[in-house]
Amino acid sequence: MRSSELARKADLKTLNEYQDRELDGVYISDMVSDIITGAKAGCLLVTLQTHKSLIAAANLVDVAAIVFARGKLPADDVVALASKAGIALFATEADTWSFASKLAELGMR
Amino acid sequence: MVSCSHQWEMVNIRNGFLVVEGCAECGGRSSFFSTEAQPPVDDYHDGPHYWTYLGSSQAVKFDLACRACGTAVSLDDMVGLMLSTCVDPECEIARIAMESGHSSWVYVALCADSTHRSGKCVSEAGISALNEYFNQQMRAPGKRIVVVPCRLAQSLDTCRGIVIADTGLTDLY
Repeated sequence: MRSSELARKADLKTLNEYQDRELDGVYISDMVSDIITGAKAGCLLVTLQTHKSLIAAANLVDVAAIVFARGKLPADDVVALASKAGIALFATEADTWSFASKLAELGMR
Repeated sequence: MVSCSHQWEMVNIRNGFLVVEGCAECGGRSSFFSTEAQPPVDDYHDGPHYWTYLGSSQAVKFDLACRACGTAVSLDDMVGLMLSTCVDPECEIARIAMESGHSSWVYVALCADSTHRSGKCVSEAGISALNEYFNQQMRAPGKRIVVVPCRLAQSLDTCRGIVIADTGLTDLY
């Protein structure tokens, strides 16, 4: 499933312009130090973390898209950095568990 | 002897704290990785230095090993990674970033001694393995990761960048 298809099916708010990449797996974490050792290239990252270092970590390990749960929204400079890196940013009002369940319903693994 | 096209993977992943200290005598900064449950905060003398705790953040350390031949590279001398945003024309890291092009992202491998008075930094073998590892994982077309040692920075106190550390995580709630 591509990022744009996920955004449509999961009713996500799109936060930036992005490379519409095929998503390969899901990783859930709020720690940037965990993301660089756990997230895989091309994956969707679900997080509450909105700090700029999140984008630095996600870019390093080639995360394709990020969903901020519980209505968290990153600052403008964070969005700008993600856009430069081609990382798709989305937001959902759902909590992390509810959104993870939605991803499973949509067939994301 | 047949050379190996290394296929790197992270091994020996350790969670802990990146502790940053400053010396009131020389103005230098030092950092170390602690695996203790609470990061040490005590001030102490060490030769001509008097190190004072400046702060800490949750961090992770890892080594790299080749799946194919078993070669292992220790990254014990690296305490963190920083995405460079430096534009100082006097800084070698900024020059590398400019020469690498807009689709390349320069990350600085940080060693424990920001002054580099000890003459030590992250090893060449470590830098080489980090470059190969992160680019082997990369799938985004055209994107390239360039990892450089922090000794190339004009001054780590003025070199701009985004350190990958969990500073401020508790501010979330």
